[in-house]
Amino acid sequence: MKLSELQSLFQSAVLTGDAEDAAILDIVAPPRDADRPTMMGVYVNAYRLRLAEFLDEDYPALRVLLGDDDFEALVEAYIDENPSRLRNARWYTTRLPEFMQESESWSANALAIGLALFERALTDAYDAADAPAQSIETLAEFSPQDWPCLGFTFHPSLRLIEVAAGTLDAYGAATADEDEARSAEEDEGALEDRPMDANESETIAIWRSDLDPAYRQLDPDEYLALFEAMEGQSFGDICQLVAFQNEGQSATERLARFLVTWFSEGLVIGVAEAK
Amino acid sequence: MESLPRLGYGLGLRPVYYDEILSTRPPVDWFEIISENYMIPGGRPLAMLERFRADYPIVMHGVSMSLASTDPLDLDYLKALKALADRVEPAWVSDHLAWTGVHGRNLHDLLPIPYTREALDHVVERIGRVQDILKRRLVVENASTYVSFTQSEMPEWEFVAQMAERADCLLLLDVNNVFVSGFNHGFDVNAFIDAVPADRVAQFHMAGHTDNETHLIDTHDQPIREEVWTLYERARRRFGGVSVMIERDDNFPPFSELLGELQRMRDIDAAIASNASRSAA
Repeated sequence: MKLSELQSLFQSAVLTGDAEDAAILDIVAPPRDADRPTMMGVYVNAYRLRLAEFLDEDYPALRVLLGDDDFEALVEAYIDENPSRLRNARWYTTRLPEFMQESESWSANALAIGLALFERALTDAYDAADAPAQSIETLAEFSPQDWPCLGFTFHPSLRLIEVAAGTLDAYGAATADEDEARSAEEDEGALEDRPMDANESETIAIWRSDLDPAYRQLDPDEYLALFEAMEGQSFGDICQLVAFQNEGQSATERLARFLVTWFSEGLVIGVAEAK
Repeated sequence: MESLPRLGYGLGLRPVYYDEILSTRPPVDWFEIISENYMIPGGRPLAMLERFRADYPIVMHGVSMSLASTDPLDLDYLKALKALADRVEPAWVSDHLAWTGVHGRNLHDLLPIPYTREALDHVVERIGRVQDILKRRLVVENASTYVSFTQSEMPEWEFVAQMAERADCLLLLDVNNVFVSGFNHGFDVNAFIDAVPADRVAQFHMAGHTDNETHLIDTHDQPIREEVWTLYERARRRFGGVSVMIERDDNFPPFSELLGELQRMRDIDAAIASNASRSAA
């Protein structure tokens, strides 16, 4: 048997999870003490355990929200339908939120999907590319009449997500210290069963501050402003696009206040006249 | 043959120990990283690695090169690995005599090969290409295996020895892997140690395994077992002062336990050296 054929047979046994009747067993030499299916089973079991471990590491709060049984069912389904094609295991778990959105079993659970999106953003922020943040003093390099034309670039770790209302509460409950977590688990059903308007959502910015992921819930107007700024819109265009008329402030003042916050949080890595 | 530096006694660099290493500067001569854990855009892992490499020699050890796979070599992976090596400037780069998947799939495991002439030709050719791409000599490790194949035409140690000579690569002798595979397949572990070409071995791995009575599994989550210490002594006598490190990847003990295992190595090596000098006198 050619090496390529042997490898195909071996892989097929691992992917189908069948160590008992696998064709590869015909060419497996007798082990010293164990039987051949047991030894082939080491590879079959390790495959699923390893992939499950990757998911466990990246979605700990989702496990708490769903409970062990449901989370493990989700993991099994994900592994079944997503054999890894990635050289680096780091990105194996990335598609879990989309998998949930596309799955009949999980697509209705907006809170769980929101939490999955949030935890993925935290993981992505953790090892996103580095870039030095700019201080607000950078703005002093531009004259006030240039401000409407200014555009901003943001830290590569910055992600904006719009998720089901209650996502951050669910994350907070799942990651609280042990006593709180126990009580949160007892309340878990209550959290999931809470009546929720399907259209109700919350918007969150996730980024890396120093070396750790950070996040903050955004009001709808700040979310819109930041979204447009990340799209490359200029300060002046954002003022026009976004209707900031609440709190009696002008759009310019309100956007300026957001900018101060973005600079102080290390989100801005570049300022230039927008093209 | 050019030889690699003798770095002494090292440990695997794992995040759980980052703070302790930085705050206590323990007596560890060098650290080995899992290359893939640092093949990422940025953030804490790479920032921490920069700090460690300022104080300690670093060796890059990969798990995804899939040297024995019949799929084409993954050139994107090798390019990223070289970029990391250019950044980290490791003392050397290693990976395994194993494959991780075919048909574009990755099982994220170190899978066994038949020890055939066909497989030998295949692996030798690929190591040569990898060495050309990385522009450095590769160090190749013997993996723990749980199945062997009726088609094998030679014992593992003969395959490894021929591979090293023909590919002109170096070897990472994982002493625990020799023991685990020897137990599982019933081969003579001493014969393995005695057959590997001494001038090709650049590094040892030591680790703990799980004993399932009928078979052993290379779990890296236990202290090094006595039988492996015995084999280590034999390897040390044969291969001299090559660099050695302990792999611990789960069930992490207090850091002091790993330092204790390193000290045991130093003591064994000192006793061997002392006996040798007495014999010479």
